[in-house]
Amino acid sequence: MSAPTLTRPVEHARLDRSPKPARARGFRKTIWRHRTLYLMAIPGIAYFLLFKYLPMGGLAIAFQDYQPFLGISGSPWVGFEHFVRFFTEDTFFMLLRNTLVVSALLLVFAFPVPIVLALMLNELRGRVFKRSVQSVIYLPHFMSWVIVVSLFYVLLTTDRGAINNLITALGGDSISFLTDPDWLRPLYVLQNIWKSAGWGTIVYLAAMTAVDTSLYEAAELDGAGRMRQSWHITLPAIRPVIVVMFILSIGDILELGFEHMYLLLNSLNREVAEIFDTYVFTAGLQNGQLSYGTAVGLFKGLVGLILVVLANRMSKKFGEEGVY
Amino acid sequence: MMRRRLLAAVAAVGALALTATACGGGGTSGGDGGGEGLQPGDTIRWMSTVHTPTTPEADGPIETALEEHSGATFDIEWVPAPSYSEKINAVLAANQLADVTGLSPLDNSAIRNALGSGMFWDVEPYLSEFDNLSQINELTIDGARIDGVLYGVPIQKVIARYGVLVRQDWLDNLGLEEPHTLEELAEVARAFTEDDPDGNGVDDTTGILDRAESFQLTFRTIAGYFGAGDKIELDENGQLVASFDTPAFKEAMEWYRELYQAGYVNQEFITLQKTNQQDAIAQGRGGIVITGLFEAKNYMALAENADPNTPMAWALINDMTYADVPRRIVSDTGGGVGGVLAISKENVPTEEGLRYVLGFIDSLLDEEAFDLMTNGIEGTHYELDGDGVVTITDQTAWEQQVQPYSSSRPSDTVVTYPSATPYVDEGNALMAEQAEFAVINPASGLSSDAYDRSWSTIWTTVQDAYFQYMDGQIEMADYEAVVEATYSQGLEEILTELNEAYAAANG
Repeated sequence: MSAPTLTRPVEHARLDRSPKPARARGFRKTIWRHRTLYLMAIPGIAYFLLFKYLPMGGLAIAFQDYQPFLGISGSPWVGFEHFVRFFTEDTFFMLLRNTLVVSALLLVFAFPVPIVLALMLNELRGRVFKRSVQSVIYLPHFMSWVIVVSLFYVLLTTDRGAINNLITALGGDSISFLTDPDWLRPLYVLQNIWKSAGWGTIVYLAAMTAVDTSLYEAAELDGAGRMRQSWHITLPAIRPVIVVMFILSIGDILELGFEHMYLLLNSLNREVAEIFDTYVFTAGLQNGQLSYGTAVGLFKGLVGLILVVLANRMSKKFGEEGVY
Repeated sequence: MMRRRLLAAVAAVGALALTATACGGGGTSGGDGGGEGLQPGDTIRWMSTVHTPTTPEADGPIETALEEHSGATFDIEWVPAPSYSEKINAVLAANQLADVTGLSPLDNSAIRNALGSGMFWDVEPYLSEFDNLSQINELTIDGARIDGVLYGVPIQKVIARYGVLVRQDWLDNLGLEEPHTLEELAEVARAFTEDDPDGNGVDDTTGILDRAESFQLTFRTIAGYFGAGDKIELDENGQLVASFDTPAFKEAMEWYRELYQAGYVNQEFITLQKTNQQDAIAQGRGGIVITGLFEAKNYMALAENADPNTPMAWALINDMTYADVPRRIVSDTGGGVGGVLAISKENVPTEEGLRYVLGFIDSLLDEEAFDLMTNGIEGTHYELDGDGVVTITDQTAWEQQVQPYSSSRPSDTVVTYPSATPYVDEGNALMAEQAEFAVINPASGLSSDAYDRSWSTIWTTVQDAYFQYMDGQIEMADYEAVVEATYSQGLEEILTELNEAYAAANG
């Protein structure tokens, strides 16, 4: 991504200096001309080739009955057998539903939180206070999911968890937060907000610093209060950023991440907690069905790709820039 | 101009460095399998399981002493026990095996698949060349064969280690007798929950402390007392059937749920991990644990760590029975086989290399090596008195440097040391005593494609149903419906294939 943005300004510079049309010089000449930049791009290109594109070859095992000892070249090909099995099993709809529902909940409840937080932080005037609040809300981002889930475990377990102790002390019945299927989704979203909302404000805060301060002054002269300034100036100014972030989250809609859900998953909430990522792990790695697991993962990746493309088109239609 | 050149140079160097490391990384992993492979004198890479939270540092005192004793050098790749099967599957899939890999349990589909695929040496013809390996019990070798072939050195375990541990001091406080039937155990569980056994005036105890692995550990043992087998068993007609679909198993579920719903088993044990369970035991939050009889000494150590004056005392019970079911105990080690130490053909392509590795494993079975991996170094970790009684003198050092090795021993039964630590001798004696009552899975050495394909999925499904039943989300009829459905998900086929294989093997 960095390569094209880098070349652009230089290209202009070159055109300024040489009046001859670039086309005639040919592709090779262009490369030679910008050899430094291309050279600098090599590490990045090599990284993507080696660690992103090369491993994709392994996807071939989704169409095989892969046996580790035989390797990719020796394992028998079975075509779409694993996909047929996956789409005809009941689990498919369970996985799709669970994944989509949780993603939708995240988009509705977790996505706006950093924006609101950033708007509030933007209004803070005390430098020291603002900085300390920022540091505190960034902190959870650096904790691993294992720690976050363990913290909640200690608070929520019915076996002497703090919250349940409080509920019973006040005369209520203890609630099985951890095993009740109805509590899984709220917990998941809540933990997600707690961990990532603070960190998410960074992008928006950065966008807000770019807002022309004279706009605020003008609005103040017209008698606009703080709320109105936020609504009519700050929010529209960061709209492109919000749209880009939204597209990125749509692309991640099936990419909930394995760790968090796996830690919350247990036998009692599996019907709502099993998502593509955890299923790939249990079916593929724990139960040793490598080809089947790969097929499921590949399907997930394809759907994700389609969603990104669609979201990007949509945003362009609405007059925003999109991510590519 | 100068500046530009410099920039170009920096970029070039950076790019080169990156490609160089990338190639280097690829080179080593690829080069492992090729070339000469492991030769006598090379460092043996060994993947092994570890049950302790920390692993000993490389080249620590025990490793050095073992290398000195065996004349071979080795590196252990420690894998924590709870994630061992995932790690094994990942390693198998990526074809990045160590030279020696401890593979267990043998009824895991992926492991059976791997063993049967020809990745590992058939070691049986070579065993007779070594002093200790040639002495391995024929029964154990039988249990470790997959379809008649021995794909690794069997890890020898005590045949049946499970039993019931009950807080003796709590029994005394309440004036109760040691329970020997499940009916008595249920009463003790009730009393431990309701009658304030620790006498602190607070309602803060439960009876049985179970954990997330209930279905394959605690409950398997209880179901065994009711007459169920280990996963697969023979019915009265001599047919192999799934244990979770037998009347005895369901009766056990009903019994256990009654205790659970009355609060005599710790609530939400389904989310409890092993270390949290141990903490709960050490803190005296429960008084009954159905586990290995050797655990009593570990619980004591934990409790003494927290409070040197702990009143904790344990009754070890190995003859628990239910109603008129004769005394029996489900073997937790598959009849004394704790897996195999499999040797990779790809990494160790030559017979010389294989003999070198086997010689190394053989030397670990010497008393001296066993002593190192069990007790540590005399004078540093333990002391011997005149009667040969072992006393661990430095518990912390022992836990960090020695204890992790105990799960890597190729045999648990080389020597039984008399010990000054309470409950060690008693536990050993009780485990040895119950070997004759052990129940094992008659299908463990048989192979079935359907089993490899669908068993783990079926197992997870039934396990989920077991937990839902325990929690009260579903009733027995629903559990039976779930089990019924597994027949069409592959169980039918599995049983047919296993019965055929069983008839062929015992025909």
